[in-house]
Amino acid sequence: MTILVLFLTSLAFGLELPMPSALDLPGDDGRAVLLIWPSTPYETSEVSYVVQASDSPEGPFGDVARFPSTSHYRDERKAPFWTWRRNRDEHFFVVRTAKGKPLESGKKYYFRLGVDFGEGPEFGPIVSAVPKANWFDPTKLNNFIFMVLFSGVVLWFIGRARRKELFLRRIPGLNAVEEAIGRATEMGRPIYYLTGRLGMSSVSTIAATIILRDIAKRAAEYEAQLRVPHTDPVVMAVCREVVKGAYLEAGRPDAYNEEINFYVTDDQFSYTMAVDGMMVREKPAAVFFMGYYYAESLLLAEVGASVGAIQIAGTDAEHQLPFFVTACDYTLIGEELYAASAYLSKEPALVGTLRAQDVGKAFLMAFIVLGTLASTVGLWTGIEHKVGYFLDILRDFS
Amino acid sequence: MFLRQYVPMAIAFVMGIIFALQYYVPHPASEKLLTTVNDWLIVVGGFSMVLGLASLMGSHWSKLRKGAPGWGYSLVVFVGIFGTLAVGIASRGKIFAGEGLVLTALGWVYENVLVSLQGTVFSLLAFFMASAAFRTFRARNLEAALLLIAAFLVMLGHVPLGEYIWDRLLGFLPPKADEVMGWIMNVPNMAAKRGILLGVGLGVIATSLKIIFGIERAYMGEGR
Amino acid sequence: MRKLVEKVLIMDRRVIYALMASVALLPLVIGPLGLPSKVSPEVKAVYERIESLPEGAPFLISMDFDPASKPELYPMAEALVRHAFRKNLRVIGMNLWITGSGMAERILSDVAEEYGKRYGEDYVYLGWAPGAANVILGLGQDLYKTFPRDYYGNLTSELPVLNGINTLRDIPFMVDLAAGDPGIETWVVYGKARSMAGGCTAVIAPGMYAFLNSGQLVGLIGGMRGAAEYEALLEKPGKATVGMDIQSTTHILILALILLSNIAFFATGRRGR
Repeated sequence: MTILVLFLTSLAFGLELPMPSALDLPGDDGRAVLLIWPSTPYETSEVSYVVQASDSPEGPFGDVARFPSTSHYRDERKAPFWTWRRNRDEHFFVVRTAKGKPLESGKKYYFRLGVDFGEGPEFGPIVSAVPKANWFDPTKLNNFIFMVLFSGVVLWFIGRARRKELFLRRIPGLNAVEEAIGRATEMGRPIYYLTGRLGMSSVSTIAATIILRDIAKRAAEYEAQLRVPHTDPVVMAVCREVVKGAYLEAGRPDAYNEEINFYVTDDQFSYTMAVDGMMVREKPAAVFFMGYYYAESLLLAEVGASVGAIQIAGTDAEHQLPFFVTACDYTLIGEELYAASAYLSKEPALVGTLRAQDVGKAFLMAFIVLGTLASTVGLWTGIEHKVGYFLDILRDFS
Repeated sequence: MFLRQYVPMAIAFVMGIIFALQYYVPHPASEKLLTTVNDWLIVVGGFSMVLGLASLMGSHWSKLRKGAPGWGYSLVVFVGIFGTLAVGIASRGKIFAGEGLVLTALGWVYENVLVSLQGTVFSLLAFFMASAAFRTFRARNLEAALLLIAAFLVMLGHVPLGEYIWDRLLGFLPPKADEVMGWIMNVPNMAAKRGILLGVGLGVIATSLKIIFGIERAYMGEGR
Repeated sequence: MRKLVEKVLIMDRRVIYALMASVALLPLVIGPLGLPSKVSPEVKAVYERIESLPEGAPFLISMDFDPASKPELYPMAEALVRHAFRKNLRVIGMNLWITGSGMAERILSDVAEEYGKRYGEDYVYLGWAPGAANVILGLGQDLYKTFPRDYYGNLTSELPVLNGINTLRDIPFMVDLAAGDPGIETWVVYGKARSMAGGCTAVIAPGMYAFLNSGQLVGLIGGMRGAAEYEALLEKPGKATVGMDIQSTTHILILALILLSNIAFFATGRRGR
């Protein structure tokens, strides 16, 4: 009944259809156009807006979307305040297709907006826009600024670290490295070092190869046997260079053997069973699990425990930490894996980055507290929209 | 020295900066760059398999030749590799008979060997979990006791039989077993995970910066 | 008595393994326990999202797991595909793990046969393509360039089931079933699907709650329990429901062993190892 009244009223007084603006959607890959139009007095849930698009002003126009007129307000879009004004005075729609095909960057498209009271849509004037690819996504500006700031802090602390010695707290897992290698030498049994499941593109694998250098150097000095089974040939090639360099640095190039690093297989459980079999037969005195692991973590660690090896694990795979904590003697948790190279070498530049990480963490903790307080205050006092400006700075809009 | 040290460092620097910035550039050229580099990674990885296979064959052949301990397993490796290769070549692809999948010899190897073996190995986790839990979940100190209690409650609330036992013994308590488990998983567990992930995230950025700026060069086999 | 307690503390692993094996076989011998699984909100959210899709809507399911994760994710995939066919959705299957191709194909063809669905018209299996993140990025740009042919070699541009679908954005809802990487996180970062849910092994499920809480996933089916809950929602108990009985008995055994170990530990005056 309401719709009929509205429709008849509009017929009597002349319906003023909303005039949309069409513009290129900023910060995209050039395949979307943004339509914005003002709210109208006749908006109800029974009245619909219809968006049509065409690549020619003469048409034919095809339907792109149809939605209730009480939706698609500006404040419903998730975008930061510095790129988007949030209000309920205007509607928006992002058009990505015309006649069933994705929009092409650089090509002109034509759009029209219709209002449907239930008797079929009535369309307003035609507007046009050219979608263009952009070189910067402004919704990621906060992310970019934080990245630059943190990078600056890291580099500053690296420069500062040479002038002042920094305190490092004790990490039991790394203190035990010397003990583990000594044990292997005394017992005449090998040391096993595993670099995880991922390839060289993973930072945890890079951290594992960096720690391998220190382990290999000490193994060379102590004349302990080192065995490094691999699941990725690229990682194996890198580790060969690392171990060779370590043996050279230790003054034991004669003790170096190419077979220290060997390839097993890239299949998860085949690798696990192969390494388990080797551990059961060779009974290593020490096993190091460094890098990223999946379900094989407990299969490896439990077998290592059963042969009496001292086990030190370090992983940033938080879902495998409980298994390593349960089955290993020492576990490096998360960022302790990345800190290990600084800890073992005590190199000032590397220690400096740890201080930078601590500063970064302090900022994150401060933002968590501030953000929680701001959200709570906003809810209690009804000023969420104002608090939203501050929270936008901390949000990710990707 | 130039090729071994400075060229790799220069490549690491240039590529590191480019791909740090790539995330902020929505232009199709940026996405194309990412997919091209990823494609090259796959190609390089493919060639590196040759290296891996050479290492694998070399070490096992050496064991077989010398009759070293465990040479029988090396024989199994060769039988597995060449047997599957022969089966795959003889299969000449998949055959479909209309009513469903008719397995080729390679498909048979997949279904009856690989699937069965992987399932078997994964099932070992249950046994290892039991022995690890028996050995480690002892209330030696406060932290170990907390770990024990949390693990106990989560395991109880995770299965229908555990919920039944809880209802029978502790049904008078307001929370149910699955609610207690849900709280432990979603509150303290999630908080700890997020803390670890935040630290890891910062660690990744710091390590990446060290590599990009050539401060950390151990992965190249060079001294610091 | 003290000697017995000390023997318990250093119990041979093989005794524990034998007990586990016996207890795991128990439900198969005595029959189903018949205990219901309470449906969690995150699993219900996935069910309701599929229920809300209109007939003929496209539904993408990426089965990113290998045979090792079959016990948890195979029943999950079967339940989801059953639900999709029951709702007469257009099912598009694919996977990012090459070792899972055979299983993914089997799931789609077996369930399709159950519902009398025709290949090419009601469902399609795109298969596996190399690149993981590249594949997902490619789907976001052009499905037909990323998968010019399906698993069986048919031209994807000629399949009626894919009519009107050019990119990931033309698919209103997708589910990724993952056992690791590439998996849910890869889809969330690179895919940016219109609406997405996840299914994963119980081990990595806790880590996925971050995506659930942030709204990047509308729902999450975690492990065999999640699969059993979904089967309960469909009112069609399957392998997951049977598996939960086995999981129940083995969990109770582990809890009993932990209790025994602690009793023995304290009985030795904390001197035992």
